[in-house]
Amino acid sequence: MAQLNESLKIPCKEEEVEFGVAFRWQHWIRALSIVVLAVSGFYLAYPFLSPPVNAEPTGFLYALFRSWHEIFGFVLISVILYKTFLFFFSKQHANERTSLGDFLNPKVWMAQIKYYLLIEKHPAIKGAYNPLQFVAYVSFYIMIFLLILTGLILYTNVYHSGFGGLINGPMRFFESLFGGLSTVRLFHHILTWGIILFVTVHVYMAIYNSIFGKEGGMDAIFSGLKWKKKH
Amino acid sequence: MENYDKSLKKIFKSRLQAIQKLPKIDNNKSIVDILEEKGISRRDFMKWASYMTAYLGLSSSFVPTVAKAAEVADRLPIIWLHMAECTGCSESLLRTDTPTIDSLIFDYISLEYHETIMAASGWQAEQNLEGAIEKYKGKYILMVEGGIPTKLDGHFLTLGAFAKTGQDVAKEAADGAAAIFAIGTCSSFGGIQAAAPNPTGAVPLSEITGKPVINVPGCPPSEKNIVGTLLHYILYGTLPALDAYNRPKWAYENRIHDLCERRGHFDAGEFVQSFGDEGAKKGYCLYKMGCKGPYTFNNCSKERFNQHTSWPIQAGHGCIGCSEPQFWDKMGPFEEPMADHLFHGPFGGLGADATVDKIGISLLTVTAIGIAAHAAISAVKPPKE
Ligand code: HEM
Ligand code: SF4
Ligand code: SF4
Repeated sequence: MAQLNESLKIPCKEEEVEFGVAFRWQHWIRALSIVVLAVSGFYLAYPFLSPPVNAEPTGFLYALFRSWHEIFGFVLISVILYKTFLFFFSKQHANERTSLGDFLNPKVWMAQIKYYLLIEKHPAIKGAYNPLQFVAYVSFYIMIFLLILTGLILYTNVYHSGFGGLINGPMRFFESLFGGLSTVRLFHHILTWGIILFVTVHVYMAIYNSIFGKEGGMDAIFSGLKWKKKH
Repeated sequence: MENYDKSLKKIFKSRLQAIQKLPKIDNNKSIVDILEEKGISRRDFMKWASYMTAYLGLSSSFVPTVAKAAEVADRLPIIWLHMAECTGCSESLLRTDTPTIDSLIFDYISLEYHETIMAASGWQAEQNLEGAIEKYKGKYILMVEGGIPTKLDGHFLTLGAFAKTGQDVAKEAADGAAAIFAIGTCSSFGGIQAAAPNPTGAVPLSEITGKPVINVPGCPPSEKNIVGTLLHYILYGTLPALDAYNRPKWAYENRIHDLCERRGHFDAGEFVQSFGDEGAKKGYCLYKMGCKGPYTFNNCSKERFNQHTSWPIQAGHGCIGCSEPQFWDKMGPFEEPMADHLFHGPFGGLGADATVDKIGISLLTVTAIGIAAHAAISAVKPPKE
């Protein structure tokens, strides 16, 4: 077999577990929530559908959209908290933390930019993400955390008791930091666009790497495995 | 609850006793007499008192206490100043079809100095103001209507025979006041004259005095919010429970949206699509017509205006968020939802009609073009391995 490979000049690759099961699940749950949240969110911003006129006012369409928005909002909050935990404490995903080293290394930075500008080879990176990816992901998390914060401020103003009442104090404090509820709502909307732009580039880069990267890029998030060049 | 009520009653009692000991502003006039003279029966007065009690969030056992509070108001002189404003707040308080108890308390009794309704003018007015500040030093309640221009050393607003700046007049009056209320959005947050680009440098009253200021915003605030704040002060003393913007919570705790009569239609997704359409006739929600009720803290949806006759949303126009800080800049355009907010001319005015969605779609397009170009070049000239 080895001989055959040698003769065919196929560089040998071996499987390596890049992402664990839980990691992959949270990724796809998160992806689904973001899609549902963005669509329902745009409805909340400008209700483009009206229910058929009904003699009995029982079809609470806007309330329905808001409910799904909030349900997936809380799903998103859960997976983001879980993911944050994985990032800091998971042994299996130490490679994510290792990326910080690459991120702080200017040489890797330059090489990575040159790779995307099609000038140079892909640099050898130690962690899971290259520096550009790392920056993109850090800003993604900043945006998501702000979306969650602004979302919860809106939530406490819609539901005054229960969990909404519990978080009311701190949320109202943040509300005044933003400069009023209208600004909170506007930020929530602006951040939605930030996430849409991120997702667009993210999907493109994922496809790009799976085509040109030769490590089976996209496979990792489905099966968890990545193809590593044998050195 | 009962214990809570009991301790509240104790506080109120000692407050009322203290105020009652103060000399009357005018020995020949008392609230009770004036009401009688104007044909308001005791019964009407008690009805009004029970109304105000509920309004301040107190249980019905407090009705006599609140009535008492209104009666001792003839011991609290009020100085009312006009800064940069339109006098709409005074109108809201005083212009009613028949003199109400609210307006009587102010108009005939407590208002020691009020430029719009006093007889004095010119030098005499000036003297009255100085006299009142001197005579009631440390005892009077200062109510200020209007924003305070600060540019050109405040000379965008000068008042009276000595052409004093509004800033100086307000500062002086604030120094000797027992309590300070900013009446209306202009005085609370700067209001319309503080809107960008704010040529006169108008600021809220709270920015020119170091003393605590209770804000009663609204453009205008309802007469009930003004009188309620006075009664609240009489009962509780210095500071009522305030929110982050120093607005009394009993009036500004909920959003317009929370108690709006059209809320059922909001949740049902039934919206007015254009003024005068079928939905408008049916009283559908005005969200898509730009109603800012979901972001505005005030009690118009409960209290309404002009003796509960009507209020903007009942009349068919959305709330414009007038009791919020910087509402003129933040809530516009008034007849579009929040998502269509216009940003103040970024890129030298080029972006003046940019909404979040327009900017978002442009950025998305640029991104898509970038992606297409990068993909095309990569296809011809793959990245180095
Ligand atoms: C990817 C995440 C999210 C996206 C893309 C998103 C998107 C949006 C958008 C576009 C709006 C309408 C804003 C406007 O009026 O202009 C909205 C409203 C809202 N969002 Fe989110 N959102 C997200 C997460 C959340 C979370 C985590 C919560 C918290 C539970 C939340 C709660 C709300 C609430 C309560 C409203 C207002 C509904 C109302 O006032 O009736 N959102 N969202
Ligand atoms: S009219 Fe305005 S305040 Fe009333 S329910 Fe609709 S959005 Fe809310
Ligand atoms: S309904 Fe809104 S805009 Fe109208 S007075 Fe009340 S707070 Fe101001």
